[in-house]
Amino acid sequence: MQNKTTFMIAGLLIVGAVIYLMVSSTGSTAQFFVTVAELQAMGDAAMQRNITVSGAVLGESIVYDAMAPRVTFTILNVPADPKEVERRGGLAQVLHDAVQDPTGPRLEVVYNNVKPDLLQNEAQAIVRGKLGTDGRFYADELLLKCPSRYEEEVPAQAGD
Amino acid sequence: MVGEIGTLLIGLSLAVALYTAYAAWRSIQLSAVPATAAQGKTWLQSAQNATYALAGLLGAALLVLLVAFLTDHFELSYVAQHSSTVIPVYLKISAVWAGQEGSLLLWCALQALFAALSTGRASERARPLVPWAMVFLSLISAFFVAVTLFLSPPFTLLAQAPLEGRGLNPLLRHPGMIFHPPALYVGYVGLAIPFAFAMAALITRQIKEWTAAIHTWTLIAWLGLGLGLLLGMRWAYDVLGWGGYWGWDPVENAGLLPWFTATALLHGAVMQEEQRGFHGWNMLMVIFSFALVLFGTFATRSGMIQSVHAYTASNLGGYFLTAIAVTLVGSLALLFTRRAVLKTSSATVENLLSRDGMFFLTLALFSTLTLSVLVGSLLPTLTEVFSGQRFEAGPEWFDRVTGPQFAVLILVIGLCPLLGRGVAALKRLQQLRWVVIAGAVVVPVAAAMAGLTEVFSLIGFAFVGFAGAATLAEFVDGVITRRKRTSEAFLNALWHLLRLQRRKYGGYLVHLGVILMAIGIIGTRMYPFEAQTSINVGQATTVGEYTFIFEELKNDFIADYSTTWANVSVYRGTTYLTTLQPRLNRYTGTEQTITVPALHPALHEDLYLILSGWTSNGETATFKVVINVLVNFLWLGGLIFLAGGALALWPRMANRTWNIVALVVGLFLLIGAGWAMWGMSHGSVSYGGGRPLVGQQAPDFRLSLLDGEMVSLSDLRGKVTVVNFWATWCPSCVDEMPDLQTVWEAYNGQNVTFLGIAYQDSETNVRSALVQYGTTYPVGLDTGDRIAEQYGITGIPETFIVAPDGRVAYVHVGPITADVLSAQLDALLK
Repeated sequence: MQNKTTFMIAGLLIVGAVIYLMVSSTGSTAQFFVTVAELQAMGDAAMQRNITVSGAVLGESIVYDAMAPRVTFTILNVPADPKEVERRGGLAQVLHDAVQDPTGPRLEVVYNNVKPDLLQNEAQAIVRGKLGTDGRFYADELLLKCPSRYEEEVPAQAGD
Repeated sequence: MVGEIGTLLIGLSLAVALYTAYAAWRSIQLSAVPATAAQGKTWLQSAQNATYALAGLLGAALLVLLVAFLTDHFELSYVAQHSSTVIPVYLKISAVWAGQEGSLLLWCALQALFAALSTGRASERARPLVPWAMVFLSLISAFFVAVTLFLSPPFTLLAQAPLEGRGLNPLLRHPGMIFHPPALYVGYVGLAIPFAFAMAALITRQIKEWTAAIHTWTLIAWLGLGLGLLLGMRWAYDVLGWGGYWGWDPVENAGLLPWFTATALLHGAVMQEEQRGFHGWNMLMVIFSFALVLFGTFATRSGMIQSVHAYTASNLGGYFLTAIAVTLVGSLALLFTRRAVLKTSSATVENLLSRDGMFFLTLALFSTLTLSVLVGSLLPTLTEVFSGQRFEAGPEWFDRVTGPQFAVLILVIGLCPLLGRGVAALKRLQQLRWVVIAGAVVVPVAAAMAGLTEVFSLIGFAFVGFAGAATLAEFVDGVITRRKRTSEAFLNALWHLLRLQRRKYGGYLVHLGVILMAIGIIGTRMYPFEAQTSINVGQATTVGEYTFIFEELKNDFIADYSTTWANVSVYRGTTYLTTLQPRLNRYTGTEQTITVPALHPALHEDLYLILSGWTSNGETATFKVVINVLVNFLWLGGLIFLAGGALALWPRMANRTWNIVALVVGLFLLIGAGWAMWGMSHGSVSYGGGRPLVGQQAPDFRLSLLDGEMVSLSDLRGKVTVVNFWATWCPSCVDEMPDLQTVWEAYNGQNVTFLGIAYQDSETNVRSALVQYGTTYPVGLDTGDRIAEQYGITGIPETFIVAPDGRVAYVHVGPITADVLSAQLDALLK
């Protein structure tokens, strides 16, 4: 007694369930994905939320306490729009400019974990975590892309 | 010279690829008209020759690049970037595909080779599709060659040849990384074959047989992708040092997505070949497989998708996006125009609770999985477009969305063999109901008893048990049925069963592998454990059920890197397990540091230790401890998965000798892989029995004393024994000798013995030292360092006090004073 309708219903049920999973997960676990400037613009709305921020690492700001372990460093604003990045001469150039600019928006990041090998000056950092009440960003995860001196696939050390 | 030859070869390849497309197309036109059929044949032959020529040219170009690496041609910019004179030969070979340019060339070469073989050696069924397939395959080749030649040439020269190259990226110096790209590329490139033949089938309206025609190629591509993914996971686990194996990174997903659609295609193909329809599904699956391959390349190489895995941003992005668009629009349009043909030839699936229904569910689920992972990877773009705010999907998002889907797939794996086609459906389920119920109960109960009590994980284990029981029942049932007919021995019957029904049992083996992998995934994802700990030298610290003793920090220089590692003894309770050496390597060429984790594998979990930092005087070190529950089921499952795939691929017509050879080679490879993962030490060394902890039985030994007597520790039961390791060339040992003698004299007569064990010393020196310090207690030489190894000493002097019952009562590392020794003895003699 099964016919096309049964299959349609089964199919729709599955698709519906999956869409529900996607939407509910986006609502609760997905992270805002912003630049440093956008994070600052968010103001109070940024508190209490899971956020992903990307920026350029300022090498001279890296402080590592190997015993804790804890590493703190500052990231500088990098535009997110790929077209904008292209216009300004490519990612490496944009990272370099960001680090050279003393007035650009910046964010201090605290990461309570082992210092990743790729944390260096002008690296592109993608930090996931929460903004603390002290204005510093407390990262649960830190992913890094290498400065494009290394024009090759360099998988990063992902902290967890 | 080398550079020019290489570029010339690639340039010629482009011309040949374009010619092939033209020639094949010409042949199609001419063959359509009977008058010019003969000419058509000639053109087709020419096109076929051209495909071989293309494979030859690109193979040669790849060979030239390989030679350039092996002979250190640093005037080539690509070689200088990825190689150096000091890396070993096997790494120089893998450096060929370490970067964008070389990997693209490898892609092109594989593409050409597969195109030539699939068209040149096409089966009878595939013959009618060959001309059009050739057109598409050569256009695809032309695209990739053009991209390589104009946008990413591997043979560019540097103005001045450096004397030394930059060296291979340290992260890539791992066997997994050597085979991972080629395996993945076999997968990516391989998927172009079914795509081209499918398009040919659509155009010629011969859509019934195309899946069977290129079934082997689909299987090769699918297996290649699977192997590439597994290798990548193992590499991440061994090398990246974060304790995990999958990060749901967009580039990782780029390899997973076509694997999903390829798996769906394989299942749909089974249905199509059994005349059960699914023609439309299969077309869609193959189109999306190829589109996702292009998408994967785009994701890895364009820099447009935020990912830490990607090659740096380059200008390739736009071209690949165009290619994806052209592919999708073209093939979907073609599909649309042929929809009438597809409809008339599709059978209908009648019953959802049947084998066909299960296949339908399988395809549906793989489709939703593909959609889920795709949405997740593109979530920032999608959410920005729809809501103005960019959201990103982290691992949590992916786990939550795909987890339930995978769980249902496991359930389907179990249900499928139980349901027949149509009426016989429930009979089988009835027959096996106790078996599968047992499976569904035993596994979660066992897990719960082992301490894994998370509700969702128990549900997952129930599904696993159910599916595992159902699949194993298939094997048993098959053997029993066969034995009824042939009265063979069990193993014989199994061998013949596997030999004669490769696809079926290969498939079941793959399912078993997946079920085992699911166990590993449930364990690691639902029971994560991670801790940081700082330990001072010589101290112990307990994390979970493990005790760690940080012995010391050491340094060394090797080739082009310096390495620092910590010796950490690991105990579970008081049982010595192993000594782990997590390390940190600093590479001088690229100024990179790599953390190399140390691993202690066991069936129920992996102990994973990372050295994160240390104080400059080496007195304290910080470690990260990760416990990966059940992870070895993942790797074991992976091996079985690959074995199943290989079985399914093995040709039917092979004679007995070939079968035996294949079996031996297959077993050899499996054992090799198993040994590489669990037999080789991943940063763990065994110090004989390790240093016995207080409370442990002191290892028995036999010491040959200087006066000729032989004494064993067990002889001294009932007495308190002081065992002192020393040497004449060790200043602190010599310092403590007077103290030892003093205590010996004071306690002689009481129930105390002293044994001095001279380590790596000579009899002459020892004798003079004894005379010099007036030592009167028994002393012997430790020949071959055997006793030292048994006691796990890492330096001298070390003193052990053994209680009358044979257990270690006290351990002292370093020189001991009379006061300390006396105090300990007093306590014991009470």
